[in-house]
Amino acid sequence: MRITRLLGSLAALLLLAGYGADLRAQTAAPAVSPPAGGYSAAQLYNSANASARSGNTALAVLGYERARVLAPTDADLRWNLHRVRESAGLPASTGWFEEYGRFANPNTLYWIGVAGLVLGGVCVLALRFKAGHRGALLAGAVLGLAAVAASAFNAAATSIVLSESIAVRQAPASASPVAGADALFQVPAAAAVRVIDRHAGFELIRDSQGREGWVAATDLAAVIPDT
Amino acid sequence: MRTVRTYALSAWIAVIGLLLMGEAALASPAGTALQSIEPSTISLGAAAQLTITSIGSEMPAITPPMVPGLEFIAVGQSQQVQIINGVTSSRTTVTYQVIPQQAGVFSIPSALPGAEPVVLTVNRGTGSAPGGQAAPGGTAQGAQTQPSSSLPADTTRQGASGAAFVRLRLSKHELYVGEMVPVDIQVGARDGMVASLNGPPTLNGDAFTLSKLPENPTRTEEVVDGKPFIVFTWHTALVAVKPGTLSLTMDTPLTVRVTTPGRPGGGFFGGSGFEDLFNDPAFQNFFGTSTQRDVTVSSAPETFTVLPLPDEGRPADFSGAVGKFAISADLSQDKAGEGDPVTLRMRVTGEGDFDRVSSSMLHDADGWKTYTPTVNFKPEDEIGYRGEKLFEQPLISLQPGTREVPEVHFSWFDPATRRYEQAHTEPLSVAITPAPAGGPLTSGPVSASSGAASNPAGTQAGQPWRPDHPDDGSGRTGTLTPHFFQPAYLALPPLVLIALSTAWFWLRREEHQTRAVRVEPFMLPSVESLGTEMDQHAAAGDVQSFFGAARRALCAALASKWGLTLPEVTTEEVVSRLGADNEIARTLLLADEAAYSNLKLTPLDFRQCKRIVLRNLDAVGTP
Repeated sequence: MRITRLLGSLAALLLLAGYGADLRAQTAAPAVSPPAGGYSAAQLYNSANASARSGNTALAVLGYERARVLAPTDADLRWNLHRVRESAGLPASTGWFEEYGRFANPNTLYWIGVAGLVLGGVCVLALRFKAGHRGALLAGAVLGLAAVAASAFNAAATSIVLSESIAVRQAPASASPVAGADALFQVPAAAAVRVIDRHAGFELIRDSQGREGWVAATDLAAVIPDT
Repeated sequence: MRTVRTYALSAWIAVIGLLLMGEAALASPAGTALQSIEPSTISLGAAAQLTITSIGSEMPAITPPMVPGLEFIAVGQSQQVQIINGVTSSRTTVTYQVIPQQAGVFSIPSALPGAEPVVLTVNRGTGSAPGGQAAPGGTAQGAQTQPSSSLPADTTRQGASGAAFVRLRLSKHELYVGEMVPVDIQVGARDGMVASLNGPPTLNGDAFTLSKLPENPTRTEEVVDGKPFIVFTWHTALVAVKPGTLSLTMDTPLTVRVTTPGRPGGGFFGGSGFEDLFNDPAFQNFFGTSTQRDVTVSSAPETFTVLPLPDEGRPADFSGAVGKFAISADLSQDKAGEGDPVTLRMRVTGEGDFDRVSSSMLHDADGWKTYTPTVNFKPEDEIGYRGEKLFEQPLISLQPGTREVPEVHFSWFDPATRRYEQAHTEPLSVAITPAPAGGPLTSGPVSASSGAASNPAGTQAGQPWRPDHPDDGSGRTGTLTPHFFQPAYLALPPLVLIALSTAWFWLRREEHQTRAVRVEPFMLPSVESLGTEMDQHAAAGDVQSFFGAARRALCAALASKWGLTLPEVTTEEVVSRLGADNEIARTLLLADEAAYSNLKLTPLDFRQCKRIVLRNLDAVGTP
């Protein structure tokens, strides 16, 4: 019975990750090609610095946010992102969950989570079916499940970024996804918004104040471009 | 027969002309007149096409020229009439087949005022000239009166019962992998027999790729095999993607009007010239004797020899560009502040497949921080065969002073010379002025080579911006999407869970089977018989035998419960599983003590021990 509950909990965590992937699929932007050689945190960070030097705040924020996906704890990156947001008059901090949930490289945590799942599962099996070394097995099971929990926590915090876009220029948010519709409010350049839906070249966004409106897709750039 | 057919055709043209234009057809033309002959050189026995075109407000009367040694046979006439704001404009084209009776150079006078005379050269010989139409009774096809392409003509294979054709015009049939070759794709549709083109031409096979077809093909008129066609031409380019001797065809979907077949022999007009008159598409359309059918017309197969790019002499920085190119470079500015970006621009101009033109520009340039270049292509023609590709790379000097931007290299394969070519730009100079203290992103020296550019948090308190990080190229990933949200990676945890669950059920099944096998060999007496045995030992005062019987019964019960063999149920195992304070564990410890010491028990002790043993035996489960 206990093992059933354990497996159920793990399935719930996987469903959470699956929800994130599904959300990602629903709000996927048109595919773009990654740069030659792929992405690296240093390259994205340096490009963002170059954009900041040239005064392009929106591209700088976009570059920093992308670099932050790969290196969420990089102090230099967080500092410059904070500064560039501040200089653009945008809120410099994000929510608590996103701030502390993204505590390591998500890809590294993914593998730690998988390893923890294997370790915890094997230890639980050994505890149930084999005699001896109960203390070590118990410790292994706890360690493994802790790794899975940490991985799932990070995945949940990172999933927020999947639907996040940066306004590459100041853009009007309209009530309907048609050109020339009346603007409800203006999305400032470099603002981070959440994309909820897409339709005919427009994206339904929600800004940090909870306002929703349709913005032309060409005015937004996804933090995680779809490849 | 030919005379009768000609009369019938002429009569039909005259009737339609009179119906449409009335007496205006007889009026003098007022507008532009053109006259051309194609080909202008033929062999004796072949034929050429003379096209006379009149553009004006009235339909002219065109009569065939009279030239000794040449026979003119009218093969077709077309007319377009437009009325715009009450002004009538007509374009009339009459085509004659010119058959020489002797060799020589013939001057054909203008058939209309304003048209230039044309010259036809007829050589002695038996074969027809390239592109020429065979004389009556000959076999060659493909004559054209209005060439719409500068490329050489290929075989015209008519499809859909002669209602349409598709053909390719290329400048060469031997090319290299990756080489771009301009090609004209022509679809000829016979007016009145083709109802509609249902899509652009498409390529057959995977050995070639085609550039994007223009949405609006050019439209010309042409007489092929004595029949007037409207020819649509798409100017595009072809690229071979693999070597070998390859065949290529093009397909075009269209809808044709299919005539209802008449009775063999011709009925009332059978065998007469009127049969041609009634089989004319316009006549059949007018009287509703045709139906429409969707067909696909294919071009004649074109065979190409596609050569692989040679390995010999291939430069290390060759990126696959094939064509003829030249490069140049400049800087966005000749002065910049320290830490400010300077853009290095490299232009690649020429002709070829620009999709294959790529460059990473500067890499690891000493004293420079380089970034990924951006690319922009400006075509100079509609197919992107000629143009300019602009690479722009931001650079940041790591030191102040007069700095030199190193030269940039580019290499390509030139099919004309059949070898790889290399070009490089000249080094460029830029003056870098030192940055003021505290400037954005410029505080502190940045040394990519020393690796000291990374600035750990807090080590430079008060610094407004943190500097660049060294990028050694490690840790790169093809996508920013975390593994959690990639389907391939998402499948791994469920697979692990399935494996663990399978192991769980397998181990449980094994346990059940083993327990059933293990319990059977050491079946012990029942509780009643055990009580009797213990009473006998108590009455005799035999403590060792008393506890021995108790131990055997308890261990057997525990072995059965835990799925162990009897020797595996030791006192230590029982203590580790149940704890030292457990009554069973204490009973076994007492039994061990009795086995190795001269333990004495009173009758009351025997009774209490027996009660404890039987109670726990009942709790564990009697074997």
